[in-house]
Amino acid sequence: MDMEHKPPSKVLAFFRWYCNPDFREEIEGDLIERFQCYSKEFGHKRANWLFIKEVLLLFRPTIIGNIHLANKKSIIMTTQSKRLLFILAAVPILLLIPYIAMQFSNGVDWKLLDFATMGMLLLGTGLLCEFVLRKVKGTKGRILMCGLVLLAFLLIWAELAVGIFGTAFAGS
Amino acid sequence: MGEFEEIVLLTVAILDGEAYGVSIITEIEERLRRKVSLGAIQTVLKRLEDKDMVKSEFGEATNIRGGKRKRLYEITSIGKNILSQAKEQRNSLWDAIPKVVFKFT
Repeated sequence: MDMEHKPPSKVLAFFRWYCNPDFREEIEGDLIERFQCYSKEFGHKRANWLFIKEVLLLFRPTIIGNIHLANKKSIIMTTQSKRLLFILAAVPILLLIPYIAMQFSNGVDWKLLDFATMGMLLLGTGLLCEFVLRKVKGTKGRILMCGLVLLAFLLIWAELAVGIFGTAFAGS
Repeated sequence: MGEFEEIVLLTVAILDGEAYGVSIITEIEERLRRKVSLGAIQTVLKRLEDKDMVKSEFGEATNIRGGKRKRLYEITSIGKNILSQAKEQRNSLWDAIPKVVFKFT
């Protein structure tokens, strides 16, 4: 670049990051040409500010091209991480329900093993649902698979609690 | 077609093959004494190109542009027809204004 002044490199890098690659060359050329005109007319310092303003005003849906493509994976990862955190947080919160009930009623009498078993069951169900949501793409498929996981959870819970199938793990 | 789209399309026609982002801004600012941003111009140019009102091709790269090529815009026959229609509509509206309306202003 044979130029007297150069535009702020970080701002230019930000523009290059968000701009649609199909328009990048022409718009970057326009930006630099405008910057050179500003430098001659207003001086380097003001030109820098005007350059920043132009780059910010270019941040529009028509011009933005590759953000969602380049970062789609990381955005999905963020959503998945949030959901996983929600599942992990939901398990102890749900286990608090019988624990609190035990403080007020004799009808609920859970032992440590009960809490551990229910914790494993809830965590397993949540993680299986998370696995389904990550691997299955269609909405119908997700509903069906998650429905099956929840049904299995309810059946195992019922078996452990009251013994509907009469297995070795059946409760009474 | 919006008002700003019409202005940009007219400017592209005025510049006759020499229309690109910076030259369009300069022309509009000089003729209309109106500040426009590069973002607004580029958005409208892309929209006009999607509507086939303008076509574009890469021009030469210059040092002042950091070695980047210009994208030169040219009005298409569709763009010319739409501008003509817009002009006719405006003229018919102007012609419909009773002369007395402007007589005492």
